[in-house]
Amino acid sequence: MKHFVLAGSFASASLIAALLTSFNVWSSEQDSWQVLQKAAIAARALSYKGVFVCQSAKQIKSVEITHLYDGQHEFARNVVLDGAPREVLNQSGNVVIYNPRNGKIVIEKRRAQNMFPAILPTDLNSIKASYSLRSGEIERIAGRTAQMLVLEPKDNLRYSYRFWIDTEYGLLLKSVMFNNRNETLESIGFNQLALMNTVELDWFKPKIDHNKSYVMEQEQELIADAGSPIDWEIKALPPGYRKVDQMMRKVQGKSGPVTHVIFSDGLAFVSLFIEHVAKPTKEKPTPKNVLTTTGNTSFYANVNSGHLVTVMGDVPEATVVQIANAVVFKK
Amino acid sequence: MSEQISALMDEEIAVEDAAHLISSMQSSKQSADAWSQYNLIGDVMRGNQLLSKDFKQNLMLKLDQEPTVLAPKSAQSNAEKVAGLKDKLPAKWSIAASVAAVMVVGWMAMHQVQSENEAPAIEMAQADVVEQAIPNEYMAAHQSSAPSATSYYIQSVSYAE
Repeated sequence: MKHFVLAGSFASASLIAALLTSFNVWSSEQDSWQVLQKAAIAARALSYKGVFVCQSAKQIKSVEITHLYDGQHEFARNVVLDGAPREVLNQSGNVVIYNPRNGKIVIEKRRAQNMFPAILPTDLNSIKASYSLRSGEIERIAGRTAQMLVLEPKDNLRYSYRFWIDTEYGLLLKSVMFNNRNETLESIGFNQLALMNTVELDWFKPKIDHNKSYVMEQEQELIADAGSPIDWEIKALPPGYRKVDQMMRKVQGKSGPVTHVIFSDGLAFVSLFIEHVAKPTKEKPTPKNVLTTTGNTSFYANVNSGHLVTVMGDVPEATVVQIANAVVFKK
Repeated sequence: MSEQISALMDEEIAVEDAAHLISSMQSSKQSADAWSQYNLIGDVMRGNQLLSKDFKQNLMLKLDQEPTVLAPKSAQSNAEKVAGLKDKLPAKWSIAASVAAVMVVGWMAMHQVQSENEAPAIEMAQADVVEQAIPNEYMAAHQSSAPSATSYYIQSVSYAE
């Protein structure tokens, strides 16, 4: 009888333990998503100043960032400290780049979508659908204590990431992207950081070089075309990817405008270009299909029903091929 | 003259109609003074309380109600076409939030008028052999509309220096 009671209490204890463990796993993943959510907001809603280093396959550049949120608007000035003094000014998502080029400063206008440390969207649902998240070690980054998080794709159609998040400020301190063979593709992280307690904006202007002429970049985008395509449609996109933008644009060296469609899974961005190709002649045969990867970027071009379809992005090759194959031309 | 400069800033005068204004601005001291006046206004809007609080609030309110397209219309652009497309174009610039940056860009836009005949071609380099695997023209288009976090600072497309 005593044995039975013991066995029974042991059984219920292990049941409770099992429940607790699974709850802990669940709650720790929930906690990690909360940390990530906080990081997405902190990057936009905190005021801070620091230096971060970005590293791609070939280059390393240090960037000085000053970021201010005044309660309504976001202002950021990023100055590249190594090499040409490129400056990137961001005002609530509108980006102006002062790009020294050929003895001039070319002014380029862009829209911000993933400027470090705000590389995560504030709505993480699309990321949750395609990636799983777990917490790693506590590590020290830029003199700060950081929680490491590992974001892994649920399939082979995107890369994995490690994020280091300041345990006190909640700010993303470092992000590293890995390919499917666990090789580092790019890394971007602070090596010094301090919060700012100011609303002054006297720093929010580029340093002007009066000896250089400033010219606006030629407009590349012709039409922000949200309308439905005329002679093609997109079917069966790879899971997790959705269309985020579509436009007609000029592409250097192309006579006509090119349709440019952008897809994203929340973190990775993929471009699709569609253009007419002339009927093949002896002198100009049909272009060959190309599948290549340079650094982080996969590139695929093929000819489909008299159109050149080109797809590229910081994603595995399988993804660009699937997106190209999702384009169906109406006969 | 000062009113004209102000109007130019507010885009009431098209830049192409204001060539005389810009050239005289570069020579005339009075105009240069007017220009620094506008920078002073910028200081005020950034929080230096030189004027009454109401002035700033009223001005901010007015500016808020009037989103301003910052870049001057190209002299060559087809007015009708632009008008038709304008509503579809994203990311209009509001000058309310920071006069400072806007001033600078505005100043540069004026300089652009001078050099519009030498508009920048996207010069592609033969610098990097491996990067040539992906055609530069597509890389440039991709990075300008779908940049990665590092491509704001590190350009895979290399330009002739």
